[in-house]
Amino acid sequence: MNSANSVSITAANSTTANATEQIALEIDKLNLFYGEKQVLRDISMSIPKGQVTAFIGPSGCGKSTLLRCINRMNDLVDDCRVEGKINLYGDNIYHRHVDVAALRRRVGMVFQTPNPFPKSIYENVIYGLRITGEKNRRVLDQVVEKSLRSAALWDEVKDRLHESALGLSGGQQQRLVIARAIAIEPEILLLDEPTSALDPISTLTIEELINDLKKQFTVVIVTHNMQQAARVSDQTAFMYMGDLIEYSDTNTLFTTPVKKQTEDYITGRYG
Amino acid sequence: MTLRSGSAKSRLLKNKLARYFITLGGVGVLFTLVFIFLYLLYVIKPIFDDVEVDALASILVNNDSTSQVNHTNSSIAFIGLDEYQQVAYQVRQNGQIDFYQLVDSDFHRSGTNILSSSLAGNEPLAVNNNPVVDIVRSANNKFALLNSDGQVNLVDVKFISRYLADSQEIQPRLDYPIGKQGFDLVPNQAKVELFSYATEQGRSRFVTLTSDKRLVVTTISKKQKQKQKQKQKQPAAGITALNIRYHELAKEVNADQLLITPDLSLAIVRDHNLVSVYRLNDLAERRQMLNESSESNTASILSSENSAAVELSADIERYNREFLHSQFQPFSSLTDKANISAMSLLSGSSSILFGSSKGEVSQWFEVMTSRGRVFKEIRQFDVGDNAIVAIYPELFRKSFFTLDSEQDLGIFYTTSEADLWRGKVAQQTSLAIAISPRADALLVSELSEQGGSQLTLFSVDNQHPEITWRALWQRVWYEDYPEPAYVWQSSSGSDEFEAKFSLVPISFGTIKAAFYAMIFAIPIAITAAIYTAYFMPSKLRRKVKPTIEMMEALPTVILGFLAGLWLAPIIEQYLAAVLLLLIILPITVLLVAFGWHKLPKDWKLMLPESWSPLILIPFIILVSVFAFKFSSTFEAWFFAGDMRLYVTEYLGIDYDQRNALVIGIAMGFAVIPTIFSIAEDAIFSVPKHLTSGALALGATPWQTLITVVLLTASPGIFSAIMMGLGRAVGETMIVLMATGNTPILDWNMLQGMRTLAANIAIEMPESEVGSSHYRVLFLAAFVLFVFTFIFNTLAELIRQRLRDKYSSL
Repeated sequence: MNSANSVSITAANSTTANATEQIALEIDKLNLFYGEKQVLRDISMSIPKGQVTAFIGPSGCGKSTLLRCINRMNDLVDDCRVEGKINLYGDNIYHRHVDVAALRRRVGMVFQTPNPFPKSIYENVIYGLRITGEKNRRVLDQVVEKSLRSAALWDEVKDRLHESALGLSGGQQQRLVIARAIAIEPEILLLDEPTSALDPISTLTIEELINDLKKQFTVVIVTHNMQQAARVSDQTAFMYMGDLIEYSDTNTLFTTPVKKQTEDYITGRYG
Repeated sequence: MTLRSGSAKSRLLKNKLARYFITLGGVGVLFTLVFIFLYLLYVIKPIFDDVEVDALASILVNNDSTSQVNHTNSSIAFIGLDEYQQVAYQVRQNGQIDFYQLVDSDFHRSGTNILSSSLAGNEPLAVNNNPVVDIVRSANNKFALLNSDGQVNLVDVKFISRYLADSQEIQPRLDYPIGKQGFDLVPNQAKVELFSYATEQGRSRFVTLTSDKRLVVTTISKKQKQKQKQKQKQPAAGITALNIRYHELAKEVNADQLLITPDLSLAIVRDHNLVSVYRLNDLAERRQMLNESSESNTASILSSENSAAVELSADIERYNREFLHSQFQPFSSLTDKANISAMSLLSGSSSILFGSSKGEVSQWFEVMTSRGRVFKEIRQFDVGDNAIVAIYPELFRKSFFTLDSEQDLGIFYTTSEADLWRGKVAQQTSLAIAISPRADALLVSELSEQGGSQLTLFSVDNQHPEITWRALWQRVWYEDYPEPAYVWQSSSGSDEFEAKFSLVPISFGTIKAAFYAMIFAIPIAITAAIYTAYFMPSKLRRKVKPTIEMMEALPTVILGFLAGLWLAPIIEQYLAAVLLLLIILPITVLLVAFGWHKLPKDWKLMLPESWSPLILIPFIILVSVFAFKFSSTFEAWFFAGDMRLYVTEYLGIDYDQRNALVIGIAMGFAVIPTIFSIAEDAIFSVPKHLTSGALALGATPWQTLITVVLLTASPGIFSAIMMGLGRAVGETMIVLMATGNTPILDWNMLQGMRTLAANIAIEMPESEVGSSHYRVLFLAAFVLFVFTFIFNTLAELIRQRLRDKYSSL
């Protein structure tokens, strides 16, 4: 363990970073139980840096659970037990000395339903900075503009930054939430079915946004929409009943799947 | 097909039934609320009704057909009537008393002269066979007659009511409380110029101004108790022995009017605009003193119906000094010099009313000041522009009627400063006015055009003159109080007591009790709710929440009982420990938490995270035991051995055993479940995706709690606090049993209070239905209703605003 003597995984070991330059996340024999029930079984995969990786699979296959393991959101669930390792640039995030809050600042997450806080648009974007004590008005203003521009929302809201975020439309809210997530400049951005609650036009905007985002961030997206996975992702993992069935680059998976289950799923035989 | 239509029909019927049933329920609830509201208003309304005076009956008396004797040469001195307003009487200056039936009854037609002073004929009364030259009346409608020889006798007017079948007969009667034998008003046959008389419980006192300008007090009391009734019916049986005592108060006195207070303690002498008050209540002590030295100033009269064995050795003991208590000039402060044109005593021996020639009435009574008891002008009433001719006080209440030179009548109430009614009751010159004993009728005697006099009976509907908004909500200067004050005191043992209905102290008590309860309850309930909803493992939460909610079902009478009888004495005994705990418990919790935070991680991991608060329990117990154990040591060091004594003696703070601290704890305990339950629901129902959102941005649980959870739950938490406040305001049993129920205005934590709710509970059973007290209690209920209404409306408004602002999605 590289960081055995380090309390925080933020202190990345430079040699490890060189060795795994292209690999952002390394999931190693991950098992997850809710009480007695095993939800994830022996998942091992590597997620490359600077690309979009999609998790697809039928409902209840464990793709969202796997995603939540990456920023340890599953810790909030009672009776949840995790075995195995997830290495973020070589540091095991499940080491018991890991500061979870610091981890989550490196691994941002956007949820299925837009969840802006009942505050102004401005306050929503800078929330991540506020809680670390950033008070410099200029810095905050810059971050707000930059994040909202990155989330393709700036032009729509620049005149009403101090109005309640709850007044935005669903698609705008979701982009605001993305802006909020990227405002703290995470290394990895997790998107948990980000468009499932949105109309087609908003969905399209978000998909275009995801394409832009991968220039800056490593993106992991869970989706039940295979077209979306095909459109936005570079790598695709197909999961079924808690198992990782097949994981390869998107083109390969959708055109020449190796496993029969994958083929059945993508041709629409179940799911 | 038929089956389907049938099922559709029955469904339709069910729909209809459900609709009607629910509509009925809803309308019923609304109706009940409105009904309660209206009923309260219905009971309260008479308090604020205007006074009404209506003529009821009028009779002509002493006109030619009924005149039998030479009444015309003597003017009418007084009139009066019985409490059922059936019989009126007229007293002439020469001692003639006539009774007239006022309204038709089964026994007498109206206008009938049913009794005259002498049963034999319409003879005037006489004292020792000499004609009466002057007659005075005491405040309680008893008469003293003075004859041309300077002798005095007493006459009481009595009414006996008899019930025959359905009708009531009022029989007037004249009683002679000391027999028919008169006695010398002043010794040595001195000429009487003016005199005044008051009587109380068998003792009578006269103040006399003699023609040689001496002021003499004559006190008579019976030596031997005997029933007057028996004596009159069996003349030979009883002999009344009298103690007569004379005191000279002053010499060289001029006076226009003399008065004695009904409790015989003060003599008031008015000489034009100068009022002198003489204190008479230490005459009794002086007699004790004198009796030891000599009997010389005591005269005894043995009088009986027919013969009198008089042994009189009167020699006046002269006291020129010390009796004069104070002198003052009412209306002297007015720029346009007004003269006193009338003087009268208000019911209850304390206040003197002066009417001025410019139409003001001024009330004076004694006030305790640094210079001792001093007469002060308390308030003025502006009656009009005409001179006040006479002031008629009511018999029991602090109302008075004024008559001015233009025959305009005014009705006023002193304490509440109420200007109740103005109007005319007499067409011609009115000769006299009398107020019925129950103050519900007015008798006016005026000259009739036919030559005799006309008696007119008016009904006076003036039930609640003492209650005005001013008296309820502002400082009122009551008799015997050094300054205006807010007082609630609805009853007392004394008949002369005036009820004091200020809603300020009890409204204040309600707020004080609620305030201390909330201070205790809000921090505990809200932090407990946050902890339970947000930090507690859900398994534990499922047990804890119902347990705390069950506390709400605990009857408050039990809490009140425990607070009053168990907690209050403990707090009194361990005051230092309890106050110490209030400070060191939170500090201990914070210190332990900080220490826990600083422990090495490996140690902390030995206990599951959710169980870590258990660490606190031994510390809390330890600190509590320490506080109680070392309470006495602590008191010895800082509070001279006994904190309770220290507080009362050194800090000068009154300590009640049942105080706001006890209430804070007991009522706080009752309110905690309400606040906890609602606040917990509010915090728990903050959408999980919001907390996840904050956590996913790297916020710690605490940051998430403060920046997102509490913000989103704020409408619910606010509601919870308001519900708790509403409960604390309306709570009855705990405050009833553990506040001591003293209606005082003091924020001090160590003193008690009386709340609106407890006040209603205590006094409603003893209040007479329809009385002012009864209606004020309903008004208190209404105020309570308004309190909770305001709190709830305010709470709802703020909650709506918060909800619009912070509720999520």
